[in-house]
Amino acid sequence: MRQDLRWRAGIIFIVTIILGLIISPIGAGLFKTDPIRLGLDLKGGVELLLSPDYRVGSNVLLKLGDAFTAKLTQANIAAPQVAPLGVMDGDRYDGLKFTFASAADAQRAMNVGAFPEHYSFEQMGETKNFNLSPTVKVNAVEVRILQDARDFPEDALERSKAIIEHRISEAASGMAEADVRLDGKGRLNVQLPGLKTLQQARDIIVATGRLTFRINDQIVLDGTDMQDIRVSYEAGKGYVINFIFKGEGAKQLEKITTENIGKKMAVYLDESMLMDPVIQDAIPGGSGVITLGSASKDEVEKDALLMKSGALPVSLRVVQSTQVAPTLGKEIVNQSVLAAVIGVAAVVAFMLIFYSLPGLLADFALMIFVVLFLGVMAIFRGVLTLPGIAGFILTVGMAVDANVIIFERIKDEIRSGKRVRPAIHAGFDRALIAIVDSNVTTLIAALVLFFFGTGPVQGFAITLTLGVLISMVSAIFVTRTFLEWKVDNDPDHYTKYFGAKEVPIE
Amino acid sequence: MNIFKYRNIYLGIFITTMILSVVFVFVNPHNGWGTKPGSPLNLGIDFTGGTKIYFPVPRAVSSDEVMAVLKKIDLPDFKVNPPQPNQYIDSTGVTRYQVLVYTRFLNDTEQETVVKALEAKFGPAGTGQGLDISRVDPLIGKELVENAMKAVVVALVLMLIYIWFRFELISGVAAIVALFHDCLLVLGVFGLFGVEVNSTIIAALLTILGYSINDTIVVFDRIRENVKYKTKDTPFVEVVNDSILQTFRRSLNTSFTTVIAILAFYLIVPNIQELCFALIVGITSGTYSSIFVASPIWAIYKDYQEKKALTRKPAAAR
Repeated sequence: MRQDLRWRAGIIFIVTIILGLIISPIGAGLFKTDPIRLGLDLKGGVELLLSPDYRVGSNVLLKLGDAFTAKLTQANIAAPQVAPLGVMDGDRYDGLKFTFASAADAQRAMNVGAFPEHYSFEQMGETKNFNLSPTVKVNAVEVRILQDARDFPEDALERSKAIIEHRISEAASGMAEADVRLDGKGRLNVQLPGLKTLQQARDIIVATGRLTFRINDQIVLDGTDMQDIRVSYEAGKGYVINFIFKGEGAKQLEKITTENIGKKMAVYLDESMLMDPVIQDAIPGGSGVITLGSASKDEVEKDALLMKSGALPVSLRVVQSTQVAPTLGKEIVNQSVLAAVIGVAAVVAFMLIFYSLPGLLADFALMIFVVLFLGVMAIFRGVLTLPGIAGFILTVGMAVDANVIIFERIKDEIRSGKRVRPAIHAGFDRALIAIVDSNVTTLIAALVLFFFGTGPVQGFAITLTLGVLISMVSAIFVTRTFLEWKVDNDPDHYTKYFGAKEVPIE
Repeated sequence: MNIFKYRNIYLGIFITTMILSVVFVFVNPHNGWGTKPGSPLNLGIDFTGGTKIYFPVPRAVSSDEVMAVLKKIDLPDFKVNPPQPNQYIDSTGVTRYQVLVYTRFLNDTEQETVVKALEAKFGPAGTGQGLDISRVDPLIGKELVENAMKAVVVALVLMLIYIWFRFELISGVAAIVALFHDCLLVLGVFGLFGVEVNSTIIAALLTILGYSINDTIVVFDRIRENVKYKTKDTPFVEVVNDSILQTFRRSLNTSFTTVIAILAFYLIVPNIQELCFALIVGITSGTYSSIFVASPIWAIYKDYQEKKALTRKPAAAR
């Protein structure tokens, strides 16, 4: 056997064994979970897409309704009937619906600009900004009202993400695979495998964490009046947490600290203690400092963030939810495995019948392709989703395709009078251009899918991309090695196996 | 064998199928072939927004029976499509029953209300059976459509550029026309049979784009190669004809194996039937269009150019 062939066969053998081990139970030990991560649609669980809820609560809507009615009366338009618009969700509605005495009144109200695009008012020393979009419906005007995003902290979503992650880790058991991500469009994607109901998911995510201060395990103060928390650096003290209480909380804090100097005041989020600093001095006016000794900046910032996380900085609402029972997921996995086995078996049988010896070798290459594909998926921690499985099968088809192109090419070369070995060389070389060009165009589609898609579609794109790349390697490298290896001793003996009827005589 | 003898027939089939597809995707006042009223395409909640609940029931139920339960639910503006009961055999061979309920987008509390009402009547989901709920806000649906359009356009433009670079501009255009044909045909077939169009259709369409272009490029690659060896007065049409014949077996074999593999999924995994259906139609169409749409367009254009060059020559000689 030729030296380079031996090398190539060796490499294929070793890589296949390694990747084979990774997807075996040994790999499961390595990753401490299934070697191939399954998507939520295969594992069961709840997936939520959370969007900041800028809709307005009923008490504010009431005020807005009064304000607009007053404006209308000033413009000599008979006061309309005011009702909330849309379906109540929690305490919020989509906006307000003004029903006028006549269509003419409704039109006049629009003409006098009673419903401006932007509207703001002061409430308890804080300015609230609203965006209005009115539409006229005969004698009524439906005004959609959303609070402006700038009323909320700029990093509201990042903070919400940290808070939700914290709550998930608190809820613990079996949630190791939970995943919270910003989706780049101002929303949070939360995946909670293993959960059964939406109620459970909501309890974890939307439930408000409560911040309390305790002395001797007695709650002495809660975080309701906490206004701001910041981390700063003070010489000699290291990183410290500055906090400000307002109103009633500030007064209480002053009283508690004056009475308990020298005692420890622990800070709790729900039932987990964040820190227990000693009260050094009375804290008048509500603004104090917590010194944490030699803690690093990251640690201090994390604690500060958790203190802030008493409540989500912006309400979140569920704009998309998917819920799959784990039992259903298991069943789909079983069905898919069965389908994959049947599908691959059918392809293998077809290749064997149609291409005899080269077909058999291609079948071996296909088996190796399957192992390589699953192994690479495991290493990159790719997530296998239901559409992803279909994408995988499609790439099996394409891996076969590359082989078919090559074999047909070799057959052509033999027919045109070449002997087997040069025919194999020429066949591979010429097929290579076609395979690369066709696969690059497919890759373009897969990459576009990845960048524009979400969730399962992205999973599909990943499997398709990996599949196309590995199928190319499989056809160009693996099949070729097998083929050259097999015909190495007496190439021309194999002429008939390539399906070329007349054996060329030279 | 001269494939181009029948070029008018291909053109006829192309125009007819495209018109029919447009009718079933945009014009048809009914949903599908029947008389079921609705939009021409059976759009799923991924596009329209809404709530879709697969509720497991312990026995076969009728649509009316479930409707009676839902009608009692008091929620504002609560509209329900007729519930669709169905049954399937799970992997352990047991027959399971479930009912599919479609409503508008429900918020968290409303969803619990509906599920509780169903549980009160039919009992909670038993072992081996699952409750499967998905909800999509209408706004998200709109975004999905926009993203899908963007994805398809971007993919087409990138492919056009690549083919232009590797072949020539007209072959790129021919390939894109064929791709367009495949996507429209898949949507048309979905419209015809009233199969639900959901977000995986986007994945399917883009895969079909990828697969069909793959097919087309293999044929084009042969044409490109054969043109290199052709004698000066061999007409381009003849080269294309030979190239198609040379790659014909490969095209058929490949599509056949892929369709068989996907067929296994179509038959065994009910949850991805729509995706698999789209892929089967699309791959078949992709193979057809590579041979009978893309290649003829390239050939006919080149033929036209060659003839123009011929008629010009004598004029110059005079």
